Amino acid sequence: MSAPAPIHREGMHQPVAVPCGLRCIPRGVDELATEHLVLNMGPQHPSTHGVLHVLVELDGEEVIAAEASLGYLHRGIEKLAESRRYHQVATLLDRADYISGLHTETAFALAVERLAGIEVPRKASYLRTLMMELNRYASHLVWLGTFGLDAGAMAPFLYIMRDREMLLDIIEAVTGSRMMFNYSRPGGVVADLPAGTEGKIREWLAHADGWLDENDALLGGNEIFRLRMKGTGVIDRTTALAFGMTGGCLRASGVDYDVRRDVPYCVYPELDFEVPLGSTGDNWDRYVVRVGEMRQCLRLIRQLLDGMPEGDHGSKMSRMLKPPAGEAYAAVESPRGELGIHLVSDGGLTPYRMRLRSPAYFNLAVVDEALAGGLLADAIVTLGSLDIVLGEIDR
Amino acid sequence: MALDRIAGEHSLLFIRSEQLFDLARSNSLFYLSYGIACCAIEGLMSAGGPRFDYDRFGIFHRGSPRQTDVMIVAGTVNKKMAPVLRRLYDQMPEPKWVIAMGACASSGGPFREYPNVVLGVDQIVPVDIWVPGCPPRPESMQFAFMELQKKIRDKTRERLDARADAR
Amino acid sequence: MPVQTPADALRAAGIACEPSDETLGAVVRLEAARIADALEALYAEGYDFLVDLFATDTGERLELTWHVRAFERHEDLYLKATVDYDGEAPSVWSIHPAALYPEREAAELLGMRFPGHPNPKRLLTVDGTEPLLRRSVLLRTAEEARLS
Repeated sequence: MSAPAPIHREGMHQPVAVPCGLRCIPRGVDELATEHLVLNMGPQHPSTHGVLHVLVELDGEEVIAAEASLGYLHRGIEKLAESRRYHQVATLLDRADYISGLHTETAFALAVERLAGIEVPRKASYLRTLMMELNRYASHLVWLGTFGLDAGAMAPFLYIMRDREMLLDIIEAVTGSRMMFNYSRPGGVVADLPAGTEGKIREWLAHADGWLDENDALLGGNEIFRLRMKGTGVIDRTTALAFGMTGGCLRASGVDYDVRRDVPYCVYPELDFEVPLGSTGDNWDRYVVRVGEMRQCLRLIRQLLDGMPEGDHGSKMSRMLKPPAGEAYAAVESPRGELGIHLVSDGGLTPYRMRLRSPAYFNLAVVDEALAGGLLADAIVTLGSLDIVLGEIDR
Repeated sequence: MALDRIAGEHSLLFIRSEQLFDLARSNSLFYLSYGIACCAIEGLMSAGGPRFDYDRFGIFHRGSPRQTDVMIVAGTVNKKMAPVLRRLYDQMPEPKWVIAMGACASSGGPFREYPNVVLGVDQIVPVDIWVPGCPPRPESMQFAFMELQKKIRDKTRERLDARADAR
Repeated sequence: MPVQTPADALRAAGIACEPSDETLGAVVRLEAARIADALEALYAEGYDFLVDLFATDTGERLELTWHVRAFERHEDLYLKATVDYDGEAPSVWSIHPAALYPEREAAELLGMRFPGHPNPKRLLTVDGTEPLLRRSVLLRTAEEARLS
């Protein structure tokens, strides 16, 4: 082997002969160079809340830029809805936002009813609202548990799973399924509450307050958790509105907008509830706003049980619906924000085009603004605080 | 089965090493936290939760594929996800098993008509257990793991032959 | 309270438009090439929130819908424009950054372009995928979807 060629270094005008067969003159490292590292977070990662792929450009531990790469769960819900009858579309929409399917189903039902001019029986509206609030509580429980996991706390996750099981039993007794409810259809709901459900819900309510206090104390009462959340992932009011954010994320940034109160639907005009509001738009505010929403859920569920009317639940709804040609938009306040269905009908048995305005899609777009400037550890909790579900983002 | 009841004191037990290891492996299956879609909530989160409880079988979730035995494919796999799935499978150390959870992972599920969806994850990775359902109940997933445990314990010979053939 | 309707505001800015009141709500139809100017004029009128942006394949052309809202007044307005297949409409991201993702999605799923978009990459599908939401792209038949 011949001796390796001498190495040219910057500033050296002539190659210098290197003695003893060394690789180069041992000057040591004279300058510390750094470069940015582009890291893949996901799509498989214990805390990407589904198959979210975020590319982060790091300078050490600090995030310089972030970009979300979507589409790992793009299953064509919008296109498949064009070949399903209106009564069958709920099966697809359950799988969009899979943690709170009832909200998507109800938004679709409201859009069809608006287009076709269908009157929904009062009992059906009450049942929809009751199941939506139960679903909202279940969804926020999942958020609370996984948010704790993102911050490194495993115990709250197992406690909320225990709390959630009792709630899912009730939902299963009413709708027939723990997750893919297929319950709210255009024209009403599929079934009435079975006998004894009200008792079961009241029994659950008796425990729910205490359990929520426990979980809140475990996470929110933890000094380390508070220090991690306060001041991180700040999304200010202007940014939030510019990116089309809605729901808890927008309210945490100080914008008072809740579809249930401002553009009411179902029986919300008759119900009495508060809308928790944040101010700074950091992770702590998003936490406090959502826990506040959970308490309001319990309040709403009590009112709904007390005021539940008698009547038809929608047994006369048509299964071969043919709304007139035209378009309609209906929005509900899902646990993630304003979930809208824009329906285009050509007068046939199946929708011509169904567009799902997904709140998590718009909430996620802020990821570059919110993550840049913070540390990678904060990036993970910020993503968790946005409460995203990839099923509705990728559709 | 208490060991001192199947064999008296001062006895010698003869068992093939792979059978002993497979007995141990079947009681300590670590699965990859790879929740693709809706099935993840039921089969990974609820089934691991307090009511259904995977941990009593020795089943636990791990974040890195390097530390897992089982990959539960919980959700629809589409053309963008398929290479990622294969890469994760390749990163798992031997011996490894795959459970295709739900209708989507088995055959495309309710989304099989969409051109972007892969018709069943067995087109990408070899599957050991298919679990029907949309989503399968947590009890179904527990049964799937029990079947997988049986398969691991009883099919030691087949697995070693397959490995020898593959070499 | 606004002193002029959205259509008046647009005409004052020199944009030809056709308002109509439909089941959907207040709809204004205009030329796709003027959408950026239109949204800027409407922003000054208080329509400061982009709710949604999507496209529909009508069979002959692509119809884009911009759903904006005057946030304080809770008033919705739908702007519609049609473009040819593989046509283009200006990107409105500088007025409403909320348009960043929906424009990429509409471009890849329906086959069109949004010049001016800072990151015109595919969002949901891999390179080489056809525009899946077009009516000409058919779903798999029962035979094709069956496992063989």
